[in-house]
Amino acid sequence: MFQIECPNCGPRSVTEFRYGGEVNARPDGGDEREWATYLYARQNLLGVQTEWWFHRMGCRRWFLARRHTMTNEVLESYWP
Amino acid sequence: MVDKTKPVTFTFNGRAITAYEGDTIASALYRAGIRVLSRGFKYHRPRGLMCVAGHCPNCLVDVDATPSLRSCMVPVESGMAVRSQNAWPSLERDIMNVIDRFSSLLPVGFYYKTFMFPRRFWPHYEKVLRNAAGLGAIDPDPDRFEEGRGHHLYYDKQYLHTDVTVVGGGPAGLLAALTAAGQGGARVTLIDENPSLGGHLRFTPGPWPSLAADLPAVQNLALASQNRSELVAALSGAVHDHPAITVLTEATAFGWYEGNMIGVAQGRRLIKVRAAQLIVATGRFEQPLVFHNNDLPGIFLGTGLQRLIHLYGLKPGRRALLVSGNDSGWQVAADLLQAGVEVAMVVDSRPWLPDDPAVRQVEAAGVPIKSSYTIEAAHGRQYVTGARVVQIDGNGQPLPGTAVEIACDVIGVAAAFVPNNGLLYQSGCKIRHDESLADFVPLSYPPAVLGAGHAVATDGLEAILLDGSIAGLTAALQWQQSTIKSQRSTSNGAGATRQPFDEQSAKEQLTGWQAQLTQMKRKPAEANASNQHSPALFSIASSQKKKFVCFCEDVTEKDIQDAIAEGFDNVETLKRYTTVSMGPCQGKMCSLNAIRLCARETGQSVAETGTTTSRPPFTPVKLGVLAGRKMEPVRYTSMHQQHAERGAHWLDAGQWKRPEHYGDATAEVRSVRERAGLIDVSTLGKIDLRGPDAVQLLERLYTNRFAGLPVGQIRYGVMCTDEGIVFDDGVVCRLADDHFYLTATTGGITTVYEWMTWWAAAWKFRVHVTNVTSAYAAVNLAGPKARQVLAKVCDLDLATEAFPYLHLREGAVAEVPARLLRIGFVGEMGYEIHFPAGYGAHVWAALLAAGREVRITTFGLEAQRVLRLEKRHIIAGQDTDALSDPMGADMAWVVKQAKEEFIGKRSLAWRNGRGLQEQLVGFVMADSGVVPLEGEQIVAGEQLIGRVTSARYSPTLGQSIGMAWVIAAKAHEGADITILTHGEPTSATVTCEPFYDPMGERLRM
Repeated sequence: MFQIECPNCGPRSVTEFRYGGEVNARPDGGDEREWATYLYARQNLLGVQTEWWFHRMGCRRWFLARRHTMTNEVLESYWP
Repeated sequence: MVDKTKPVTFTFNGRAITAYEGDTIASALYRAGIRVLSRGFKYHRPRGLMCVAGHCPNCLVDVDATPSLRSCMVPVESGMAVRSQNAWPSLERDIMNVIDRFSSLLPVGFYYKTFMFPRRFWPHYEKVLRNAAGLGAIDPDPDRFEEGRGHHLYYDKQYLHTDVTVVGGGPAGLLAALTAAGQGGARVTLIDENPSLGGHLRFTPGPWPSLAADLPAVQNLALASQNRSELVAALSGAVHDHPAITVLTEATAFGWYEGNMIGVAQGRRLIKVRAAQLIVATGRFEQPLVFHNNDLPGIFLGTGLQRLIHLYGLKPGRRALLVSGNDSGWQVAADLLQAGVEVAMVVDSRPWLPDDPAVRQVEAAGVPIKSSYTIEAAHGRQYVTGARVVQIDGNGQPLPGTAVEIACDVIGVAAAFVPNNGLLYQSGCKIRHDESLADFVPLSYPPAVLGAGHAVATDGLEAILLDGSIAGLTAALQWQQSTIKSQRSTSNGAGATRQPFDEQSAKEQLTGWQAQLTQMKRKPAEANASNQHSPALFSIASSQKKKFVCFCEDVTEKDIQDAIAEGFDNVETLKRYTTVSMGPCQGKMCSLNAIRLCARETGQSVAETGTTTSRPPFTPVKLGVLAGRKMEPVRYTSMHQQHAERGAHWLDAGQWKRPEHYGDATAEVRSVRERAGLIDVSTLGKIDLRGPDAVQLLERLYTNRFAGLPVGQIRYGVMCTDEGIVFDDGVVCRLADDHFYLTATTGGITTVYEWMTWWAAAWKFRVHVTNVTSAYAAVNLAGPKARQVLAKVCDLDLATEAFPYLHLREGAVAEVPARLLRIGFVGEMGYEIHFPAGYGAHVWAALLAAGREVRITTFGLEAQRVLRLEKRHIIAGQDTDALSDPMGADMAWVVKQAKEEFIGKRSLAWRNGRGLQEQLVGFVMADSGVVPLEGEQIVAGEQLIGRVTSARYSPTLGQSIGMAWVIAAKAHEGADITILTHGEPTSATVTCEPFYDPMGERLRM
C-alpha cells in the first residue's frame, strides 16, 4: 500500500485512488493500425511511467503522476 | 512480574488451574505441574515449553474456541477455557503417537511418495490423512458470540501515522524511541509484543554498562544504581510518560508492507502503522541444538529457562543439565542455581571457559563442568529423565568412549542466537551471513528503514544501547530532511511548524557515537578465534533418527539429509520439499539449523547456501484480525422508511437497497398501465454539468447531438467507449445554454462521472461536473391518470401543449421546488420528478395521497423491468455487454456519424463497415406459459446462435416476451428461433418492434 501525493490533498494511501492507466494519446487521424494500437496496446513499461490517477475518496480530481512501475515510487504528481 | 496476591482461575482440558495475575497460560500450566502442552504435528510426540517467548510451536493451545494460540504469549484471564489440540483421546495418551514407531512409513516428502497407489484407494487415504492432518479445529458455533468469549467477536482496524516507528521495546528500541522523540523531536510509535517493555533485560540480570550513562536518554533518567531492573523500569517509565511517544504493548508487528507500512495485531485489532521512518529493533531468537530426542518436554532454550525464573518466579525443575556453546549459557546456569535448581553439569562445546563472573559462580557452587563436551541424546518418553553428553574433537565430532550419562529433569540449551530480522528482510534490506562472526549482518538498508541491537547482530548491552541511540537520531534526522523536502514541494504544507532541529549538531553527535560503536563491535578475527566450532556447531554426527530440525512440521535431520540426497539441495526447494520452516514458527526455530545442515551436506558456506525468502506474516495472526470489520456502506433513499412500511421486498442494487416489489409485481404492472403508479428512482445517477465547454463535452461523450437541444428540453443519449461499446445511457436536460442536468444508470454513475471528469481534464475543458446523485431524490409518476394525480399537488400547467413530452419544467410539487421531466420511462405518459433529497418522505406521501382516488400503486424494480421490457427498452449492462455496440443493440439511430468528433466514432465507423454480426432483438414465446432464464441459449440444431438477456411474462400482453442477441441471419421480424429453456427446446418468434405501444402514442398524451 504505497502512497501517492495528490496535488490537492497531499500524500494519501493508494487505496484512496483509482488508477487511470498509462497516458495514452488519442490519435487525431492516422491509419487503422495506429487507432487499434491506441485502443488495445499498452507499453507496460518497466520503469518510470506517466499515468492518470483519480482521487476517488478525496477531492475527486484527475491528475498525472510519474511512478516507477517496479518500486511504486511516485516521483511527481501534477495537474494535467 | 507475577502478583501472587491476585489468583486467577481457568480450566485446562476441563481441569481447574489456579494462576496469578501476570502469568501466561503456559507459565500457569507449568506452575501447576503440567509439562506436556501439545503433540507434534506428524508423529504426535509429546511437546512442552521450549522458548517461552512465542517463537516455537510447542505450546499451541485452543483458548475459548480460538485455535492454535501460543500459550506462552496469552495472559491468563479468569474463566478462560483452555484446551490442548492435535491429541486424542488425551494429551497424555495420544493414540496417533504410534506413528512415531512407524515413522519409516512417512519419509520426507511422503505425500509425493506414499498413499499414491493404487489410485482408487486415494479417497480412503485422503479421509484418513485429512483427519490426521492440521492443527486445531474451528468452532463454527455462532452461539459463542452470545457468550462474549471465543472467536466470534468484534474485530476492528486502526490506522496510525508516525514520524518514527520503532518495533521492539528492548534496550535498543527504548533508546531509539527516546532519542528520536527527545533529541530528534519526532512523533514516535513504539511497538512490543510483550506486556511490558525491556526486552531481554527483563530476564537477564546484571549491571548495566557505565558508558551508557553518557547517552542523553539515560542521562535524563538520573539513575541511582547500576542495576538493570532499575534501568528497565526507568526507561520504560520515560517512554510511557513521553508526550511524543505512543506505546503499543502486546502488539505484534507481523509484517512489513509497501510504503513502510507495518501490520500490527493488537488483541482484536489490526493496526496499520504508516512509518515515515522505521527502526527494527526486534532482538534475536535463541536456537535449539539438533540431537536425539531434542523435542522432549523439559528441554528448554537457555533464555526460556531465564524467562520462567525471572518473569514468572518459577523453579524450572529439580535437576538440570546445561548445554552451553556461548557465554550466555553460563548466566543461565547461575540463574538456575539461584532459583534453587540443582545443576547436574554444565558442558560447553568450546575447549575453554569464558572469563565471566557467571562461570566463577557456577564453579564456586561445585557444579561439575566439562569443556569440549556437548549433548548427544536426551532420554525419556513423556518427559526428560536424563541425557548423554559426549566429548568432541576440534571438528565437532564425538570421541568414542567419552560419553557420560546424566540424570536430570531439565536440559537447558544455550548455544546460538539468530537475529530476528524478518521485518528487515521484507523491507528489502540486504543481509549477508558473516562467516567470521557466524551471524547475519545488514549490508545496506532501503530508504527510511534502519535496524538496531540484536536484530542486526549488535551484541553486548553497551553496544546495543549505543546502536539504539544512533538509529533513533539517524531516523529523526532523515525524517527532518524528508519533511523539509516535502514542505518545499507542496505549497500547503499543513502543520509545518515543528520544533527547531539542529541538523549540524545531530550529525556531529552521530559521528561520535558511530566511532564509539565501531570500537565496541566484535573484531571478526577475535570472534573467529574465540568461537572455533561454536556457535556454528549445531549437531554432531550420530545416526539416531529423532533429531528434530523443524518442530512445527516434525522434520528431522535425516529427512533433510535424505531430501538433499534426492537432489533438493537448494534451500528454497529444500524448504518446499521437506516443509521445514513452513509451520507456525515460520523458521524462527529451524531456519538457521536447516541452512547450516544444507551447507554442511553440500559442502558450501552458509553465505553461499543463502536464506529462504521472508514473507509476512512473520508471526501467527488470527484470521479475525485480518478479516475484521470492513466498511461496506449501505445506501438508503430518503423514502426508505415509507417503502419498509408498505412491505417492500428488498433488492440490492450496488450499495443501494431498492424495493423489488410490495407484494404483487403483476398488480403493480397493471396499475401503471391502467391507472397510475409511483416508483422511487432516487438511485438514478444525477450529474450537474455547467461551464462554457459543457455543450462541447456532451457532443463528444454522447453518440448523438446536444448542441441544438433547446433550453427546457430533454434528449435520450448513449455513451460509448472509444472501442464503440455501449457503456451507459440516460437523459440530458438543458437548463440553460451552459447548464445541463444528466441522468445515468444506478450502477453506471460512478463510471460515468469519472469518465466525464477524465475527458474534461484530458481536453482541459472549462466545465464543472458534479455528481449530485445523493442531493436529489427522484420519483417516477406514470400511467394514464398520472397527470390527474400530479395536478393536485403541482402548481404548473400540465396540459400537453404547455408541458409536452420530452420537455422539462421547474415548479413546486407538494410545495417543494422540483424539476419535472416528461420522459417515457415505463411507456406511459408520466413525470420524473427530481427534488432535494431531504423532502423525499414528504413528496412521496403527498403524491400517494393525491393518487388515492385513482387507486395509485407504488411499484418496484420487478414491475419496472416488466414495463420497460414491454417497451423493449434496454438495460445497459444487462442487455448489452462488453462487445455490444449501438447498432447491434438496435439503436443505430442514436449514433450520429455525421458529427465532427465523439468518443467511439472511429470504431463505430469501422464496425459499420464490417456489418452486423449479431443483433439484439425482441422475441415472443410460442407458449406463453414458458419464460426462459436470462443467459439461456438460442440454438439451431447443434449450433449456438444466440442468448437470452431478459425475459418476463407480460401481464399486459398475456405473453412471454424477452430480448436476445441472435446472429444477423435471424435478426428480422418474424424469424423463428429455438431457445433452450431449462434445457428443453422451446419456440419463439423474433420481433424488432416494441411489444407495447410501438408508436409511443401513450407517451405523448
